Amino acid sequence: MELNAASPGGKRLENKDEEKVQDLDTGEAETKAEMGNKTWADLAGEMKTFLWNPEERTCLGRTAKSWGLILLFYFVFYTCLAGMFAFCMYVMLLTLSPYTPTYRDHVAPPGVMIRPYLNGFTIAFNVSERSTWQPYVDSMHHFLAAYDDKVQEEKNIECISGQYFIQGGNESEEKKACQFKRSLLQNCSGIADQTFGYSRGQPCILLKMNRIIGYRPGAGVPVSVDCKVQKGNESDLGSVDFYPGNGTFDLMYYPYYGKITHVNYTSPLVAMHFTDVKRNSLVPIQCSLHGKGIVNDVNSDRFLGRIIFTLSIGK
Amino acid sequence: MKKEMDVDDHKLELPDLEAKYSTSITKGLVGAVAAERLLRDGPNELRPPRGTPECVKFGRQLAGGLQCLMWVAAAICLIAYGVQEGQGDRGSADNLYLAIALIAVVVVTGCFGYYQEFKSTNIIASFKNLVPQQATVIREGDKLQINANELVVGDLVEIKGGDRVPADIRIISAQGCKVDNSSLTGESEPQTRSPECTHDSPLETRNIAFFSTMCLEAGPHPDTQASPAGTATGLVINTGDRTIIGRIASLASGVENEKTPIAIEIEHFVDIIAGLAIFFGATFFVVAMVIGYPFLRAMVFFMAIVVAYVPEGLLATVTVCLSLTAKRLARKNCVVKNLEAVETLGSTSVICSDKTGTLTQNRMTVAHLWFDNQIHTADTTEDQSGQSFDQSSETWTLLSRVVTLCNRAQFKAGQENIPVAKREVIGDASETALLKFAEVTVGTVSEARGRFPKVAELPFNSTNKFQLSVHAAGDRQLLVLKGAPERVLERCSTVMIKGQELPLDAQWREAFEGAYADLGGRGERVLGFCARWLPAGTVAAGTDPEALPEVAVGLCFAGLVAMIDPPRATVPRAVLKCRTAGIRVIMVTGDHPITAKAIAAAVGIISEGSETPEDVAARLRVPLEQVDPRQARARVVTGAELAGMEPGVLEGILRAHPEMVFARTSPQQKLVIVESCQRLGAIVAVTGDGVNDSPALKRADIGVAMGIAGSDAAKNAADMILLDDNFASIVTGVEQGRLIFDNLKKSIAYTLTKNIPELTPYLIYITASVPLPLGCITILFIELCTDIFPSVSLAYERAESDIMHLKPRNPRRDRLVNEPLAAYSYFQIGAIQSFAGFTDYFVAMAQEGWWPLLCLGLRPRWEDTHEQELQDSYGQQWTFEQRRYQQYTCYTVFFISIEMCQIADVLIRKTRRLSLLQQGLFRNHILVIAIVFQVSIGCFLCYCPGMPNIFNFMPIRFQWWFVPMPFGLLILIYDEIRKLGVRRHPGSWWDRELYY
Repeated sequence: MELNAASPGGKRLENKDEEKVQDLDTGEAETKAEMGNKTWADLAGEMKTFLWNPEERTCLGRTAKSWGLILLFYFVFYTCLAGMFAFCMYVMLLTLSPYTPTYRDHVAPPGVMIRPYLNGFTIAFNVSERSTWQPYVDSMHHFLAAYDDKVQEEKNIECISGQYFIQGGNESEEKKACQFKRSLLQNCSGIADQTFGYSRGQPCILLKMNRIIGYRPGAGVPVSVDCKVQKGNESDLGSVDFYPGNGTFDLMYYPYYGKITHVNYTSPLVAMHFTDVKRNSLVPIQCSLHGKGIVNDVNSDRFLGRIIFTLSIGK
Repeated sequence: MKKEMDVDDHKLELPDLEAKYSTSITKGLVGAVAAERLLRDGPNELRPPRGTPECVKFGRQLAGGLQCLMWVAAAICLIAYGVQEGQGDRGSADNLYLAIALIAVVVVTGCFGYYQEFKSTNIIASFKNLVPQQATVIREGDKLQINANELVVGDLVEIKGGDRVPADIRIISAQGCKVDNSSLTGESEPQTRSPECTHDSPLETRNIAFFSTMCLEAGPHPDTQASPAGTATGLVINTGDRTIIGRIASLASGVENEKTPIAIEIEHFVDIIAGLAIFFGATFFVVAMVIGYPFLRAMVFFMAIVVAYVPEGLLATVTVCLSLTAKRLARKNCVVKNLEAVETLGSTSVICSDKTGTLTQNRMTVAHLWFDNQIHTADTTEDQSGQSFDQSSETWTLLSRVVTLCNRAQFKAGQENIPVAKREVIGDASETALLKFAEVTVGTVSEARGRFPKVAELPFNSTNKFQLSVHAAGDRQLLVLKGAPERVLERCSTVMIKGQELPLDAQWREAFEGAYADLGGRGERVLGFCARWLPAGTVAAGTDPEALPEVAVGLCFAGLVAMIDPPRATVPRAVLKCRTAGIRVIMVTGDHPITAKAIAAAVGIISEGSETPEDVAARLRVPLEQVDPRQARARVVTGAELAGMEPGVLEGILRAHPEMVFARTSPQQKLVIVESCQRLGAIVAVTGDGVNDSPALKRADIGVAMGIAGSDAAKNAADMILLDDNFASIVTGVEQGRLIFDNLKKSIAYTLTKNIPELTPYLIYITASVPLPLGCITILFIELCTDIFPSVSLAYERAESDIMHLKPRNPRRDRLVNEPLAAYSYFQIGAIQSFAGFTDYFVAMAQEGWWPLLCLGLRPRWEDTHEQELQDSYGQQWTFEQRRYQQYTCYTVFFISIEMCQIADVLIRKTRRLSLLQQGLFRNHILVIAIVFQVSIGCFLCYCPGMPNIFNFMPIRFQWWFVPMPFGLLILIYDEIRKLGVRRHPGSWWDRELYY
């Protein structure tokens, strides 16, 4: 152990960087230590060679023939896969009925919607300014056009009130729809008062239940509607008139048989006439369905069996 | 850093020394001067190097490639949440949850990594244990006890048996002082310390004792030895970090830890993953912007693609796989300190092994005897299971008697029931070897000694180089003598051959010389034995020992006994296994070249028939310079040769000679050897036990320390500790390391596959505007919950072939994740899984009323929170929340599809080449349990109440579990076809493109 002699170790370490360069130049065994120390220029050069190597005529590390083979392989592979997918879809579609969905796990119980619906659930207008409430009135007329007495009489039949209108027979047979005449809505029909009460600050709002195939709401007892102030003073609401009847959806309009066979089906409506709402303030109103099987108190879904909207009527 | 020790104090005469350190060798330093020097040089202790602050280390764990991506994703989630909340949009809490989940994933894995790093302790701490606490110092003529750290250069100190040497000291006077330098140099024998300078090198000379070495207790026979053994006085010449141990310590702690190969592999492919994630994310960000999505939405898409594409559970999987193997190794006596080192052993291509204690048993044992003009081989196995030699000759009777009687070693009391080899002995190494040899071959030594009571004796000393004793034997006396063979022969006039005393003529002298040279050439320590019968009363009891040599003339030569520290029984096989596994074993030792070469030949490091250049020169009778190095497979290089080499020469030598032995090496040189091997592209394992090995252990890709013989410093510097000090355990480690590399490959392939079915839903969602098929939270559940156990279970997979017959992997060519693996996982299996997911998705949608064609382009209306009466294919009307639950159903269905396909995936990943049936479908029980676990978790997530609103899982219809099964079957069949092609047509296009 010649400790006094100059140590090769010390020198070696100092020369390490030089050696690295030499190693790279001569293409000698490149070690792990060197792999991390490439410059950007080297990297760019490598990248370029990788993209197109003129010597070996390779692009991205493959020759034309190699690319051809691998692309052909993947073409065949994906064609087969897509074929299998298409076959599965085909088999699945064969099993589906065009008239009735296989499952109705998430669509029932029904949700609720209102008209007029323009852009949100706040209905705000000034009685004195026609332009503020005319869009609502137009929307109502447009919506109710399908409920015109003439149209209904032409297309649909009269049904027996108070019982479900069950139509047996073949699933693919066309189903009859019951008449829901606009005139049933009386003061809110827009026949007598063409402005649905908006010009007087007593707006009508229509309530409809979402359509669900085969659903029989209320299990024999018609579903009814009521309204209350959602938050705030109860007296802000005043009295509400409901049409038709006492604000119920007649059983004869149910069940629904789907858009293919039940072509002329028109959803029954309940009109709510707010005759005495407090003016010049925001009145949040919640209208709920009541009946057996109706759910109207789920926190997460505020349109399930109920609807919340705001009335703001100015002078 | 790597400067060797530069000291010439040992060559100075005492007055010069006094002048140099301006001190007195009788009175010591003056107190004031000592205080001044203490201030100048600092305390006499090892200073720990300045480390990185802990918070920086922790921060680094949180800022890896993938982690940064996750931070960006979390930030985008938070921004999206903030903006949506600002717009009064309800139901945006999903983004908040996701951000929290992502941050939690990053922090938890970061803590995990930090804990791993934290466990590897500071190396200096282990050196602290070696440092003495107290020292006896003479200052101004007074003897004081002071703390060792207050010593300064020039102090006069006293040491006695049992002390640690408190600094590097030049011995001024000594009585029978011996030090144990084993921790420093690896020499296991006690070294005498005396005032004379005996060697140019400070490490070899006797008049320097080193900081932290142990001064041994007084000699083995306190009853017969009255002299005040084991004390010395010396002058401090170096303190603290300037001492030789200080230099080794700073050398060791200054050596940077090499990144382990597995860390390099993982980094390599994390870079690729991160790059691809950003590439995909950015591409679809641009696509989304072009299609006309608002900026925030496009950012959320980017985030979702990153979350889908990054394998969040991968690092955890790798860590768990490695720690499982580490546990398995621990049961086989290999304790792994640094988890990643598990794999490193598998890719090791060079093992630099220390000799003493690793390859050898670390105890002197009688190996050969020469008597009756014949060399006999003794049994050197650890458990005395080998063959013995012919013991019928009368010469043997005489020789064994001399061996028994002319020996001062004795067994410690109360060990009658312990095997001889394991008994403890009072006495030095060679006497112990002879004592045990006699006990085993002849029978109870104490009984024989009782029959021939000792009358007088002359102990061994370095002038005589022999030891003799006279024993009473009834009416005669027996003089027995042993010592250096040439000195013994001088005193002999006859030689005993087959019981006949023959005159010692030239012929017998030649035979003796031949045998002596032969045994010496095997690296063995040879002792000669002779005896003579004397008439009773020739030597009276109590005769002055110094008078005995006069009697000891005209003796009868009995024989030679040669001893060596024999190789462990398991080592030759282990070395052979390493060879078949393509691993080169290099011996690096501090021992003599001849001994080193002999052991190397015995264990197979130098294989049979291999010649060193010296051998070739001797055979061809040409000078050494004319020998073509290519003719010599083997080569022995000494430290002295190494010191004289130009840079780069060593690499040339390593390349030219496959079988290398390095002898007489210093710690610095060990480091140089390791670095040279690494420069040649090798992955180097180093085994060692001494403090002197610690720098090399640290520098190596994997350092393996010995658990029993190893010093703390070595253990601390090492990545792995062999509890049984058995080299053969390394082979087990190599096997496990290779297995885990293969299995990690499988595990990673399994983990990567599902990134495609996680990614494609977003791509289709963005481009085809279908309702989102798979949510981010669901993806995190796949990554971090259900798929972790199966991917870990692949670590239990058996090897597909005899991995110990393959060459070590080439770290540049055989990557952990290579192109075929990625292509096969992503574009083939991943694609099949995506199709399975979409099939199930469209089935679930269609059966609930949303036919496939309606779904295309549905997204804007589907996601409109004001749309409460969206019509499906049947004319039914859905509220937003109802649609949301339907969307969660889709998530769950897609999730189940991925799970079903992943079961097929984990099965196919069991093998890369063999058929699944050849490997055994259920032989890996853990994997079976993992599949059951995975399905159970899937069921729990689907059907546990409350899941829809917490984690977006819906209870799904039973039959939707079966929809993806044909695709799972397709995966199994397709992979069997792939493997069949790979097996049948090695080297073909199919093999090149599809074997990973």
